Amino acid sequence: MRRVLLVLMLVAVPATGAAQSSQFGVRGLGMPGRSLSARAFSTGGAFAMFDPESGLNPAALGRLTILTAGFAALQDFRHVENPAGTESLRETRFPNITVAGPVRRYPAFVGVSFSNYSSRDFTLASADTVALRGILVPVSDTLSSRGGLSDLRLAAAYRVQDAWVVGGAFHIITGSNRLRSLRAFADTTYQVATQQSEVSYTGIGVSLGVIRSFGPAFSLGASVRSDGKVNVDRDSSRVSTVDLPYTFGFGMRWQARPKLELASDVVVKTWSGANSDLLAQGGTGADNTFEVALGAEYAADPRRPSRRPLRLGVRYGTLPFSLVPGDQPTEFGLSLGSGLRFAQERAGIDLGLEHVWRSSGPYTERAFLVNLGVSVRP
Amino acid sequence: MSGWRWAGGVLLLTAIVTACQERLTSPADCPALCPGGSVEVFDTIVPVVQNRDSSFPVFADRASGYVDRGGGPALLVSNGFAASEDRAVYRFAPRSDSLVVRDTLRAYTVDSVTFNLSLIARDTLVNGLKVYLYRLPSSVDNTTTFADVDAQLVDINLIDSIAVPDSVNTGTLTTTLRGADVARVELPPGGDSVLAIGLRIAAETPTGIRVGSLASSTGANYTSYVTVDVPDTGSTRRQSLSRVAAFNTFVTQDPVIPDDRLLTVGGEPSSRALLRFGLSDEFLDSSTIVRATLELTPVRPIIGLPTDPTLLQIVPVIGDLGAKSPLTEVGTLIRTDSLPSVQSDTLRVEVTRIVELWQSDRTSPQSIFIRVPSTREAATFARAVFHSTRTPLADPSIVAPRLRITYQRSFPFENP
Repeated sequence: MRRVLLVLMLVAVPATGAAQSSQFGVRGLGMPGRSLSARAFSTGGAFAMFDPESGLNPAALGRLTILTAGFAALQDFRHVENPAGTESLRETRFPNITVAGPVRRYPAFVGVSFSNYSSRDFTLASADTVALRGILVPVSDTLSSRGGLSDLRLAAAYRVQDAWVVGGAFHIITGSNRLRSLRAFADTTYQVATQQSEVSYTGIGVSLGVIRSFGPAFSLGASVRSDGKVNVDRDSSRVSTVDLPYTFGFGMRWQARPKLELASDVVVKTWSGANSDLLAQGGTGADNTFEVALGAEYAADPRRPSRRPLRLGVRYGTLPFSLVPGDQPTEFGLSLGSGLRFAQERAGIDLGLEHVWRSSGPYTERAFLVNLGVSVRP
Repeated sequence: MSGWRWAGGVLLLTAIVTACQERLTSPADCPALCPGGSVEVFDTIVPVVQNRDSSFPVFADRASGYVDRGGGPALLVSNGFAASEDRAVYRFAPRSDSLVVRDTLRAYTVDSVTFNLSLIARDTLVNGLKVYLYRLPSSVDNTTTFADVDAQLVDINLIDSIAVPDSVNTGTLTTTLRGADVARVELPPGGDSVLAIGLRIAAETPTGIRVGSLASSTGANYTSYVTVDVPDTGSTRRQSLSRVAAFNTFVTQDPVIPDDRLLTVGGEPSSRALLRFGLSDEFLDSSTIVRATLELTPVRPIIGLPTDPTLLQIVPVIGDLGAKSPLTEVGTLIRTDSLPSVQSDTLRVEVTRIVELWQSDRTSPQSIFIRVPSTREAATFARAVFHSTRTPLADPSIVAPRLRITYQRSFPFENP
């Protein structure tokens, strides 16, 4: 009965909710993505430092015992409020795909993943009145963007003795934005005017990570990542270069009880490095961000911890691109989820739900995010 | 619940949730929230190229036009109408004075004659319309003038009149002559056997009508019901002889004389105006056209028949060869505008699609023809005469043809 209720909650609650894209992703490079598996997502990202299907720490690949392919789909239901009004939105994205596994006869692990680095999916509608040929004409404007930056990660990890795992990864950052501005006039003798532009991005980055286990019950993890610069081309012409942040992550995992595992992590990104580049392009700049997450996984059956565990998480963080100058957006999320391995543990489904609140001055939004992860271990 | 059922349930429910249609449009208080700049709309005037606006035929060729008088799909008849004073003329095919009965040509007696006319359009607000049919000399042709015809429209030549019910707006008008009245259309033996008639109208107020013509297969006809006496048998034969119009035209008291300093559209013979513009590549490259309006200043009010709107067409030119330039046949590029019954103010016609054509195809000449649609050319009362670049600019209200273009510059999308 408890399990049935859990499933019903995960599916029924998002009736009014929201998503990965956000009005807080309108500026700068967009809404930063979170390269998380459904399991890590369900714990607010707290387990990401130790999760081989997440992209935060390459050393986490060392926890794999078999070749694993994972795929995540994210549905968001978002309620947006700003000075122009309110609206309920929804969106589906596929934020994370991974394939990774151990190398035969070596304590080494390799993997490749494709995840969302930042999302610039939005459509903004506004209304105005303009004077045309001496007459005031109501107009409605729509500015939309589709796309964003993606992160292709080639990672490897190596187990040093039993207690240490070190890892490294090479990141290719690429992507594009299709931008469209549309103006429609109430006086239909004026034609709808549509203008489009395409912005493409290229950059590279590297990351290093380490996990130190202190016995089977306690581990510490850390990672550092540098993404250098991203080149921004508009319609095939270079228009700017933007500094991408350094990312510093630190996490710990504790098996508090045979049935209960706790984890926490802190991730800091130096987005302020992009501030001057964005200001030079007429943007609102960028600020450093941090995210703190705390999560737990409760396994009903300690001998089969992957059989419908209950996962909980809470996180708080800041977002890099301000809508109101001097007022950095914040984000708070509560999450839960569960999962199941079947077919002799060769296949798995994980489901996560997160309720997120974001705000900055008069701009607020709350979102329900539903994350479905499918994993296969052939 | 087994693991498979659990997984299946999760997948099914998740599929239902994620199958929702995306909705990404949110309200925004721009420019505070919107990245990039604002949409800016500009307005500009583009005059026609100096001395590159012409109407055809020019004065020297005024005897003939695109459609000659009487060659249009209707003929004009009016009575004190402000647009023009017109009379219609039909000349029918010859009717021989004998018939072949039993291999013998035999004379016949006309018992009655019926005339049929097609009423194409009238002012439905004018009551008491009456159409008068007069007999004209059979020699009437396209050299006949208004004065020649009008002089013949007198009582002595009156054939009959047709009172058109106020409820009849279009259709066939018929009158029949019987008995002694048949003599009014008698064709004397030994003559050319050709009957010609002229039309005049009367109504409660000055007005005009358009009647059918040969060009639209709606010309007038008349039918003679005759009796042939066959003496050898002591019997009679009754037959009908129908004759359609072989020639038709209408005559105008004050025909439009093309003035090379002006632009003439319509009239008879019909004229068309060719305008050429010179929008720069720089402008076309960097602009999104929102609205383009062709503005024409009439020299005098353009008067049409009320409830029978005057139409003008703006047609882009495929290749600029002057008067004989081929015109596009793409319907979406041909702009037809309906004028009020009296157009005295500046005429404005939306030509956005045409300017967009020039923007997308730089090989397309920036030239347009203004004409009356072919279904009405040389067949409407409206005679449009516009100022051109050669009009002396004594009055500031006199403006040569021009385009008023509302456009947007490239949107300043924000560079991340």
